[in-house]
Amino acid sequence: MAFLAIAGLSVSYGAAAVLRDVSLDLERGQLLAVLGPSGAGKSTLLRLIAGFEKPDAGSISLDGVVLTEPTSLVPPERRNIGIVPQDAALFPHLSVRDNIAFGLRGLGDKERDARVAQLLELTRLAELAERRPDQLSGGQAQRVALARALAPKPKLVLLDEPFSALDAELRAELREQVRTALKAEGATAILVTHDQEEALSLADKVAVLRDGEIIQVGAPAEIYNSPADVGIATFLGDSVLVDGVVRDGKIATDLGNLTPLNQVTEGANGVVAIRSENFYLQPNPGGDSEIVGRVFFGHDAVLEVRTPKLTIRARSNGPFAPEVGMKVTVWVRGSVNFYPANT
Amino acid sequence: MQRPLVAIVALGVFAALAALLPLGYLGLRLVEGFDSALAELMRLRTLELLLNSLALTVSVSLTALLVGSLQAWLTVRSDIRLPGLFAVLATLPLAIPSYVLALGFLSIFPWLQGFWASWFVMSIATSPYVFLAVSAALIRTSSTTEEVSRSLGYGKLQTLVRVTWPQVRPAAFASLLLVALYTLSEFGAIALLRYDTFTRAIYNAYRGSFDRTAAASLALILVAITLVVIYFERRYRGDNFSSPVAASRRVPTALGIGRSVAEIGLIVVAVLSVLIPVVALCVWGLSGSSSLDLPQLLAALGSSLSIALASGLLIGAFAIAIAIWHQRFRSRVSATIEASTWVAHSLPGVVVALALVYFGANYLQPLYQSIWLLIFGYLILFLPNALAPISAPIAQVPKSIEQVARSLGLRANQALKSVVLPIAAPGVLAGVAIVSLTVLKELPATLLLKPNGVDTLATRLWQATEVLSYAQAAPYALLLIIIAGVPALLLNSQARKLVSEVG
Repeated sequence: MAFLAIAGLSVSYGAAAVLRDVSLDLERGQLLAVLGPSGAGKSTLLRLIAGFEKPDAGSISLDGVVLTEPTSLVPPERRNIGIVPQDAALFPHLSVRDNIAFGLRGLGDKERDARVAQLLELTRLAELAERRPDQLSGGQAQRVALARALAPKPKLVLLDEPFSALDAELRAELREQVRTALKAEGATAILVTHDQEEALSLADKVAVLRDGEIIQVGAPAEIYNSPADVGIATFLGDSVLVDGVVRDGKIATDLGNLTPLNQVTEGANGVVAIRSENFYLQPNPGGDSEIVGRVFFGHDAVLEVRTPKLTIRARSNGPFAPEVGMKVTVWVRGSVNFYPANT
Repeated sequence: MQRPLVAIVALGVFAALAALLPLGYLGLRLVEGFDSALAELMRLRTLELLLNSLALTVSVSLTALLVGSLQAWLTVRSDIRLPGLFAVLATLPLAIPSYVLALGFLSIFPWLQGFWASWFVMSIATSPYVFLAVSAALIRTSSTTEEVSRSLGYGKLQTLVRVTWPQVRPAAFASLLLVALYTLSEFGAIALLRYDTFTRAIYNAYRGSFDRTAAASLALILVAITLVVIYFERRYRGDNFSSPVAASRRVPTALGIGRSVAEIGLIVVAVLSVLIPVVALCVWGLSGSSSLDLPQLLAALGSSLSIALASGLLIGAFAIAIAIWHQRFRSRVSATIEASTWVAHSLPGVVVALALVYFGANYLQPLYQSIWLLIFGYLILFLPNALAPISAPIAQVPKSIEQVARSLGLRANQALKSVVLPIAAPGVLAGVAIVSLTVLKELPATLLLKPNGVDTLATRLWQATEVLSYAQAAPYALLLIIIAGVPALLLNSQARKLVSEVG
């Protein structure tokens, strides 16, 4: 049995099903990202694991102990599961040090101080130890919240969109620090997020949650390269969807014949999802396509390209991106995922 | 740097000096008759009054803290049904002046008197202050902090003690001290219930025997206690934890079987505190309706309304002047003016009235026994009450709007007149209304300062109770609730915000 085993979890509020038959496994020391748009049921999943809510069906067990069943619920304080809420939720009446020490019970003063010092060091908060929460920036508050959750060495740490309130630059920096801290502690953790970049860059394993159902679980690269359906393909980064028909093992589309990555049936109709960075735009005065729009981002540029039959958005290396008005030939690099219609 | 208008400065300085009058009077009495004052203070009776006042203040404060906090937690945090309704019920006693409350109970139980009766009535009258403060603090407190505490191994009760209560404590203590001040300076209810505290003794010493030295000596002790309480109130007020997060969603605590018990308890408190006295007054009012002197009632209503409106407008003008001076031309002088208006705040009405009677009779003969001395008394008593609601809307007008007006060619005072005041007007008017309603309910200063021949609803009510005529007093009491209490509650922004948030 896995370290954390979630089986057949279902919960609904009134008529609305929030989670439907959710099952997940996680091994000790792993970091799982649950990725999904807002309203997918991510926070509810965390609240169920933490023990704040009761499911209608299913069970949760951690380290061989059943924590949640529809009939019985181990209360949150006896689960040994740490939480890092979205808004940090530091105790406003306690200093940073006392916030971190809050969950350290049954330790001698010396041990407790040592553990707090260790966490202050790990989360780079040593200079801020005596500050009050209202004197901290958003990123600092999140680090304190993480240190507070990690302090009693919980079996599992739950992070609820911990970076969503921060600006982009800080988010990237903090993400790295959090990953380092979790790994240094050997913590098993679940992070929920709606940010695919965050999920892909942080986690060992990603689960995609949509409308209360787990749609796909796998390593980050697997999820990104082989999305289970068109929905995930478009949710995870820019994809261009093009209609196609399978002929002679290839997919015939308006962009030419493409090689399928997955198993296909001869004659099937469907769509292919092509990542915008998988287009290659070859400058060619005699080409049949034309650049009609260009948004420059520095490291890359997004180009709007009018091909004979349709207009696509392609991503190109920034400094070398073609200018508006240039003629190009469009190539698709590598293989593509084909999704037959009516699935 | 532009200067405030001369008129603003004049009003501000006048108000500040007026606020210092009562303390000045007490100082004067102390210097003049130190020996007799000392003799008065050394009497056994004084010790008894002191113990009585302290016992009542402490017991009422603690009861209000307990009842108000419990009501707040149940309405904001538990899963009781109709929390909005219970929030309204818990604030309802605010609509009833405490002496009307006392009258309501006395009209059913004429034997009510002494400590326990006073404790009961004052606790009912003051619990809403704690309820409002603690509810607001609980709403500010993120329930996520409680969940974090649970996840770190603390049970529900431990979490309540270690996480929730510390976050609510500053607000609870501040309201506790407010309740203490209220109880110390309360006159009407306690006098009706014949419990001997300082306020009643001061009033009787002056009214009964015109013994000003005795009255002033007692007032001195009362003011000393009040100042101690004010000191603590100032120290702890505003010590709220600024929550770095916007209040998150609240997850109500399931009470299980306790839920019905809690709901019944809340209903019992509401019935006791509001329904019983109001119904009693209605019954008395109906039974006495045949003998009701309607012209007298209308005359009292007329003078009550006109005095309250005139006082409200006058106090409003002073408050606007000081608010503008301090908000827009801030200087050390303006800060001193603002602070000194607070000196008279929470001074018992009896003491302020006593001081004005003295000054009126000795130095301001033309004003003595005129309506102006009464209004002057209201100014001293209620200017601080007006200053907060009138300052806030003026302070909230963004400086940038004023700067735009200045850049378009207006001078500072023009910008204030044509931009700042119109924007702040609704809030300022609300402030004026609140003060007028407070004046309408005021009892002890009105009794001592009103000219002979002028009677307000409150003084008529008082005269009727002095001859134990509940039927005669009831219509005045009901009218006070309807025209003063209920509108004041409706204007109470704290209560409105709370009801909209829990409902």
